[in-house]
Amino acid sequence: MFKKASSRLSLLVLICLLIMMTVACGVEEATEESVEEETVDVVRLEGGQDDGYPSPYAHHRRGPGSYKMNLIFDSMLERDEEGWVPWLAEDYEISEDGLEILFTIRDGVKWQDGEEMTAEDVKFSYEYSLEYPMVRTYVQKDDEIEVELKNDNQVLFIAPEPDAVLAHDLGRIPIIPKHIWKDVDDPENYLEEEAVVGTGPYQLDEYNLEHGTYRFEAFEDFWGPNQSVEAIEFIPVSDDIMAFEQGDIDLTRIGTDLLSRFEEQEGFEVVQNPAFWGYRLRFNMEDNPQLEVTELRQAINYALDLEDVVDRDARGAGVAGNAGIVPPDHVMYNPEVKEYDQDLDKAEELLIKLGYENTTEEGVRYNEAGEELSFDLFVRDDDVRLGEIVEEQLSDLGIGVNVISEERQSHDDRLRNYDYQLIIHGGGGWGGDPDYLRERFMSPAADERGDVEQQSLGYDNSELNQLLAEQRYEVDEERREEMIFEVQEILAEDIPQIPLYYPAEYTAYRADSYDDWMHMFDHHALEHPKLSYLERD
Amino acid sequence: MELHLKIKSAINAFKKFSLSGKLGLILILLILLMAIFAPWLSPHPHQRSSGSALIPPDSEHILGTDDLGIDLWAQITNGARISLLVGFGTALLAAVGGGIMGIVAAYKGGLIDKILMRLIDIMMVMPDLPVMILLAAFFGPSLFNIILVLAIFSWIRPARIVRSQVLMLKEQSYIKSAESYGAKSWYLIRKHFLPEVSPLLAVSIIRLSSRAIVAEAGLSFLGLGDPTSRSWGLIIHHALNFQGIYYTSFWRWWLLYPWLALTILTVSLAFIGRDLERIVDPRLGN
Repeated sequence: MFKKASSRLSLLVLICLLIMMTVACGVEEATEESVEEETVDVVRLEGGQDDGYPSPYAHHRRGPGSYKMNLIFDSMLERDEEGWVPWLAEDYEISEDGLEILFTIRDGVKWQDGEEMTAEDVKFSYEYSLEYPMVRTYVQKDDEIEVELKNDNQVLFIAPEPDAVLAHDLGRIPIIPKHIWKDVDDPENYLEEEAVVGTGPYQLDEYNLEHGTYRFEAFEDFWGPNQSVEAIEFIPVSDDIMAFEQGDIDLTRIGTDLLSRFEEQEGFEVVQNPAFWGYRLRFNMEDNPQLEVTELRQAINYALDLEDVVDRDARGAGVAGNAGIVPPDHVMYNPEVKEYDQDLDKAEELLIKLGYENTTEEGVRYNEAGEELSFDLFVRDDDVRLGEIVEEQLSDLGIGVNVISEERQSHDDRLRNYDYQLIIHGGGGWGGDPDYLRERFMSPAADERGDVEQQSLGYDNSELNQLLAEQRYEVDEERREEMIFEVQEILAEDIPQIPLYYPAEYTAYRADSYDDWMHMFDHHALEHPKLSYLERD
Repeated sequence: MELHLKIKSAINAFKKFSLSGKLGLILILLILLMAIFAPWLSPHPHQRSSGSALIPPDSEHILGTDDLGIDLWAQITNGARISLLVGFGTALLAAVGGGIMGIVAAYKGGLIDKILMRLIDIMMVMPDLPVMILLAAFFGPSLFNIILVLAIFSWIRPARIVRSQVLMLKEQSYIKSAESYGAKSWYLIRKHFLPEVSPLLAVSIIRLSSRAIVAEAGLSFLGLGDPTSRSWGLIIHHALNFQGIYYTSFWRWWLLYPWLALTILTVSLAFIGRDLERIVDPRLGN
């Protein structure tokens, strides 16, 4: 009798507990929802590395440095998920001939020291940045672009020739206050408190060079959308994944193998970053007659299984290379270009046509002249595994590859000096304006060897050269896109270099503490855009 | 008959070792056999992939595969060749070089001795790891360079031991009398000094090789070894470079087995070295 009662009692207790738990959960969910409407006190991110003093002149060049500066300083245009949006400029107009750009500056914008921001400051910022180039410079003195104040709130820029990307280049110059900077003549060493007065949503509260810590606080009189975060802190951590798990930081990058760990956990969100960074296999076509032959390069492309490269080198977190160079996430990506899925028969056919019929004892092909298909492949020490995969895949076709790894400095020197046969070049900027195709593939004038690091010396296609030269001056967006599409088709046919893959890592963040992150249309990091910290519709 | 005697003396020598020494000898023998028969021990190649990436140990890949899908057992058996080559290569080079330097310094004396001793002093205060990293980076990554760089930093100990031993020997009356009968230096070195110091050198070789094996793994781990070789240190290097490996299960084979192989080899060498030292110099133990 007593036993029965006790078991009933425990059942009752259990039911009560269950009910309480569900109620508790419900309450918790409800509060969470209401929190989402309000601002978050603080977002903590991985720091510990000095990115410089966040003024337009003293921050470090890499992304983390310039995007910290962007929290404090606004520019006339800003980038959101879709493209460029008016920011300090309410509006801008480009004249029909493409030579004049008129920016209309917003009213009622305040500097963080209380002064009023005017069109005069915009003009000053432009002129000052010509005199003293900022860390990231987009418009140079040589471009000979003139500026004049149209009236109280309009600034007019006049270019000597039409330029498709000029409005954006001007639009991204950080606007600095004239009343502070007009007497500064050594801006790189101007590290006073006044040097970080901008019009942006956040102001610098704390900065420690030795520890690499930063704290940004919301600026109360900010002209634009409300901040959704009161403070942003960058703190040093020893192991980023561990710090993230313990809640010390709110966001981190993770590999594919940690996906399941965070995807299924309550309160965590995982997103894949867009692929705007890339590894490419480059050929020295200037000093190497074998590699000058288009069919050989095509055969190499056919021999590579790029999906497998992504699977093994990036554990699947990436996008296989596109023969048309431009990554699939890009706004001007042409999906119709020639594709090179791995096809060893086709590759062999091409090689036999070129005369590489016989193989040595080691399995390396050679032609009648005794020239072997054997190359040195240089890689950066961090990318040895990628080199090994390429070596393995090419050896199946009878192309011998000797992988040589070097540390970063020697590797970059090699790139700059064009001192290689094959090299794997990893770098960013693939999401930017497709004008980068001109820098990479337009053959330089006979007496000029501009930026060898990017250029493909020894590659020369007159049709392509003309297209690349013309697209720059084409102000009609649609027409320009057609040209860029055509460029990609030619590149996919000629294979002056082979994009191996575009890494697309994952970012995990603690959605229960903050979840308003976004990607800019051309950038891979969630924590970089200032719009990630502002309320959006 | 002679063979029979040799085996007998080998067995007698073996019996002199302690239990841990015997264990060490057996393990070294096994690793040696593993290195010699590496290509036949594993059905998979050690230079290229033979399955998907990061398969846990199963019947097909008994120790699993690494991030490129290369069989780990194949890599470990072949890596044993590299470890042993580097270990004994370095030790032999250093012991022979250091031994000769020690004998010359002690026997010739005078200026040569002074110069060599100061050189040894300089080498002793030089922090070896930073300089090794510098040299390895300067010479470029290759196996031969690693052996060379390690040997440059290993000859000091044998040189000092041999020098003090020879200093003592050359005062012995039988050496003196040999000299008075007109024995040349080379004859004395060959006939008298080398046989006397060789047991000491043997101990040095064992000690140095275990140090060299770990140093090779360390240099490879820092990315200064031949990057496409499959040495144990390099397997560990690649495994530790894998982001968040401890949050995955991969370390249970990719990191554990090469580490285990490395540990077994160095511990065995340490056991043997300890026993050898005791046998050669009875004062040290009982």
